[in-house]
Amino acid sequence: MKLSYSWIQEYADFKVSATQLSDDLVRLGHEVESVDLPREAVKGVRVGQILSMIPHPNADKLKLLSIDINEAEPLAIVCGANNMGEGDKIPVATVGTLLPHGLKIKKGKIRGEVSFGMCCSEEELGLAEEALGLLILPPDAPVGAEVGEYLQLEEAVFDLSITPNRGDCMSARGLARDLAADAGLSWLEPELKSLDEDANMAVGSIACEAEDDCPLYMARRIEGLQVDEAPSWMKQRLLAAGQRSVNGVVDVLNYIMLDMGQPMHAFDADTFKGDVCVRGAKEGEDFAALDGRVLKLHAGDLVIADAGKVAALAGIMGSEATAVSEETTNILLESAYFRPASISTTRRQYGMVSEASMRFERAVDPAMVAVAMQRATTLLLACFGGSASVVKVLGDVDVWLKPREFTCDIARLESRLGVAIPAPLDDVLRRMGFDLARNEGQLHVSVPTHRPDVSMAEDMSEEYARVIGFDAIPAELPELPTIQPMQKDTSVQDAVRQGFVQIISYAFISRQEQRLFSSQDEQDIVLENPISDAMCVMRRSLFPGLLNTAKYNLNRQQAGVSLVEQGRIYSKRERCYHEDNILAWLMTGELLTPHWYAPSRDADFYDMKGAVETWLSARGLVARFITDDDVMGLQAGQTAKVLVGKTVLGHVGKVDGDLAASFDLDKAVFVASLNLDILPKAKTAKFVALAEFPAVERDLVFLFDHKTHADDVLQAVRKPAGSLLMGVYIFDRYDGQGVPEDQVSLGLRMSLQHPKRTLTQEDSDQVMQAVIETMQARFGAVLRG
Amino acid sequence: MSKLGALKVELHTLQEKALAEFSKAENLNALQVLRVAYLGKKGALTDVLKGVGKLPAAERPVIGKEVNAVKTALAEALRACEGKLSVLERQRRIESERLDVSLSGRQSARGSLHPVQQGLDEITAIFSQMGFEIAQGPEVEDEFHNFDALNIPPEHPARAMHDTFFVKDTDDAAMLLRTHTSPVQIRTMKRLLEEEHALPLAVVAPGRVYRCDYDVTHSPMFHQVEVFKVGEDISLAHLKGVLQHFLSAYFEKDVSLRLRPHYFPFTEPSAEVDVACVFCVGKGCRICKGSGWLEVLGSGMVHPNVLKSVGIDSTVYSGFAFGLGVERLVMLKHSIPDLRLFFENDVRFLRRMGA
Repeated sequence: MKLSYSWIQEYADFKVSATQLSDDLVRLGHEVESVDLPREAVKGVRVGQILSMIPHPNADKLKLLSIDINEAEPLAIVCGANNMGEGDKIPVATVGTLLPHGLKIKKGKIRGEVSFGMCCSEEELGLAEEALGLLILPPDAPVGAEVGEYLQLEEAVFDLSITPNRGDCMSARGLARDLAADAGLSWLEPELKSLDEDANMAVGSIACEAEDDCPLYMARRIEGLQVDEAPSWMKQRLLAAGQRSVNGVVDVLNYIMLDMGQPMHAFDADTFKGDVCVRGAKEGEDFAALDGRVLKLHAGDLVIADAGKVAALAGIMGSEATAVSEETTNILLESAYFRPASISTTRRQYGMVSEASMRFERAVDPAMVAVAMQRATTLLLACFGGSASVVKVLGDVDVWLKPREFTCDIARLESRLGVAIPAPLDDVLRRMGFDLARNEGQLHVSVPTHRPDVSMAEDMSEEYARVIGFDAIPAELPELPTIQPMQKDTSVQDAVRQGFVQIISYAFISRQEQRLFSSQDEQDIVLENPISDAMCVMRRSLFPGLLNTAKYNLNRQQAGVSLVEQGRIYSKRERCYHEDNILAWLMTGELLTPHWYAPSRDADFYDMKGAVETWLSARGLVARFITDDDVMGLQAGQTAKVLVGKTVLGHVGKVDGDLAASFDLDKAVFVASLNLDILPKAKTAKFVALAEFPAVERDLVFLFDHKTHADDVLQAVRKPAGSLLMGVYIFDRYDGQGVPEDQVSLGLRMSLQHPKRTLTQEDSDQVMQAVIETMQARFGAVLRG
Repeated sequence: MSKLGALKVELHTLQEKALAEFSKAENLNALQVLRVAYLGKKGALTDVLKGVGKLPAAERPVIGKEVNAVKTALAEALRACEGKLSVLERQRRIESERLDVSLSGRQSARGSLHPVQQGLDEITAIFSQMGFEIAQGPEVEDEFHNFDALNIPPEHPARAMHDTFFVKDTDDAAMLLRTHTSPVQIRTMKRLLEEEHALPLAVVAPGRVYRCDYDVTHSPMFHQVEVFKVGEDISLAHLKGVLQHFLSAYFEKDVSLRLRPHYFPFTEPSAEVDVACVFCVGKGCRICKGSGWLEVLGSGMVHPNVLKSVGIDSTVYSGFAFGLGVERLVMLKHSIPDLRLFFENDVRFLRRMGA
């Protein structure tokens, strides 16, 4: 909301600078987005009169002006405009002036002729978006005067962001009340003039059938108006407040709204047929709104209607058909209190917002309904003539003028703020309209009608905090428990330590991306109002995000990436919403750039698997990796499920080649994913005595069938090797020349150790023999060496 | 010449020749060959000794002495040459092993933690050290926890301020993506109240939140950290104290802060919190739009209706709460100019910012 300083000053004699007032507003809780200084912005621009005008000797389109600005010598100025003549009065930016768009005026030479300033257009003064020529001022403009003063430009305009609880401050009067109370200034409310009402004029039949949503409705008829433009001072104020001029009647009503906070509406009375009624809309009823939209209304929307049509969506917008125009002579003027929730529900339903609805949904001051009616009528009659009927009042005004009352404990208020609340502060709140009485530690509060947001002790603590000033409240540390259980999750930190770059991607992806790795779309959580189709469903896999990130980076000259992401996946199963905490990796392309000491190498399955194994081992976990040919989006034969005990924690595998290509990824892409929510707890390491006797390493190399799984071989070694076996791993794998087709040579390295004595040759020979026999029996393996 | 004389001459010549050859030896191996050639069992000196048997017995000791002298002289010369050569060889070896130490070392891959993660970790750690317990909650929330329980009834204007993402095809209660971490307040208070001695409680809840807003300064997904404390006699002064401590710890310097009265449905009083611009130290610059202040978070005293919604007696207990925007704090701390950098995940950016 924009409002000029001069408007606020109507209500109290504020003398502080605009900057100071801005600080005061902020301190009281009214956020100031910016402060415009229209008059200051054109300081140095003065009214000049053209004494003579001759063509520039060296330029066809330029002119040499001699301009009187009421100084000893006239100014010589070179000008390119052509809408002026000798004797015209124009704004002249003198040397040293800084114009609103940042142009600094200097003495200059234009094509050989000296120029001591610049003649300005409205655009150059920041008064209009565009202009065709110089601003020609009226003949009575005093030569030499500051143009900003002469045009009565606003000294300051505040752009405010009023919080939803303070509807009462969405007006000059409301803001001034808060500021004046705080500053201790006296209140200069203009007197309400009495009005000659035409008692004989019939208002017409008006009824209210929706008293819950419209508890207070006032209407009057004004006849014989001659709608003209609103007075220029009013239009200027409205313009500064960001309100475009529509027509005289609408401008006056907008002025009343910004001035007093009460939105009003005028209908062209001659467009009404029959009885007027405030009622709930019928389901499907048509409404052609002023903004050109045609709505199908829902039952319960509060409307003003006559026998045939809906004339207004109450408190939000009038209809096009009943709008006041320059031709209107008779109007029906409305001032009302609509239930905030009703306005809010209806306007959101249609995505509508208006200055009126913003105020009604924040609750207007019921006490102002009649006052605004009176003031608006007075202004309308003064500006456009005509006569007014009496006011028809629907609803019980007295009920709404009764202040809300409650009592609170002053000590509790003080303990909530952590600071004392001395009695003199009460006066500030009294000036804001509160009726306060202290009695034996209790504060009796009577809340003014313009503060519907205050209803309990805690609300008063805020009022006191505002007037004490948040700065005056001390900073103290509360008592806090000193011991807290550490439950730090280091999942992603561990992966990063292994060389992966952590990414964070959006939790919503496209449906197409979802279908790459997850079937069963009934488990999808789909957004009702997504940003776009690319972000419309909650991910059930982290892989699409990782693939997109890989694509993004490989398109930016990265030869390879190793990425990790920790985040949730989301699904809906049996009407329940599930979120699982997932850690997922992706590797593709060059692992390391080529160096003098090593060539580059592309990531492969075993790099990815190794990363997962290392990550698990940091948690004291050893997993088994078992071929899984049925994982969606991953290539059969290069994909394994990750098992710890009997729990499948996730998968490691190669992304399907075509799928990877659809992300512009040419090289093989490997991914892994583990569900952290089902990860067994890391085991606490237990001490085991270090072996006293030396271990013996023995190697055996066999030829196996090519399809044999290393894991099966290693598992099979354990039994025959018995308790002497400390460890076994594949140290060599070869299927090149010399190895028969369909076979593979695997080298097993076993580490043997006896806990109580040095191992003998015989001991280890026995073990080797047992292993050889088992390998032959179980796999038909042939010993090579 | 007598045989003795001839032998002496021969010995002398041998010695001269050997010494000359020793001094010319280029390395220890060559020297070893010479040692064998002169002093070995089949060496030159042994050959000379063979001639000694032919001498008269009286002359033998004389020549024996001579031979021993030559032997000693040669051995000494060898030792000397050996010493010189081994120094030389050591120098040569060192020289030959000289490396270009300016070549890069063999590096293992370095990962990096996302700057938002670092922020979350730092913020959570500060509160954790202060004694706040870490809690979490769901991101797909129901309307009750995200709004109603936080004193935001359906028709409340504040709901519109939240730009909520709603979930399609919900069966019963409307589901949405939480717009703030405040619902964790409700869930955690409910959970803790089921345990004994729940009050006083102090909780820090980091997490992802969502708003239907996407432009240069808004991301539809971002991170918040919710901090709240409920107990007897918790005051606005305590809120200020905790904020002051946290902000100074996070920015690693004393920062002055400013509380401005504001409005949030779930707190009363409510305050927006500004820190003195960390770039211009309050003088006014482009980042703080000349005001000298940067808005960093919203805070307040927990509204009695919020306490009531979880069954806490607001006449006995009070609490404070605030929600930090993680991206905002990280941007300020590291001078990151654009929010979108966080979710583009350009590895060049991530590595540079990464710890």
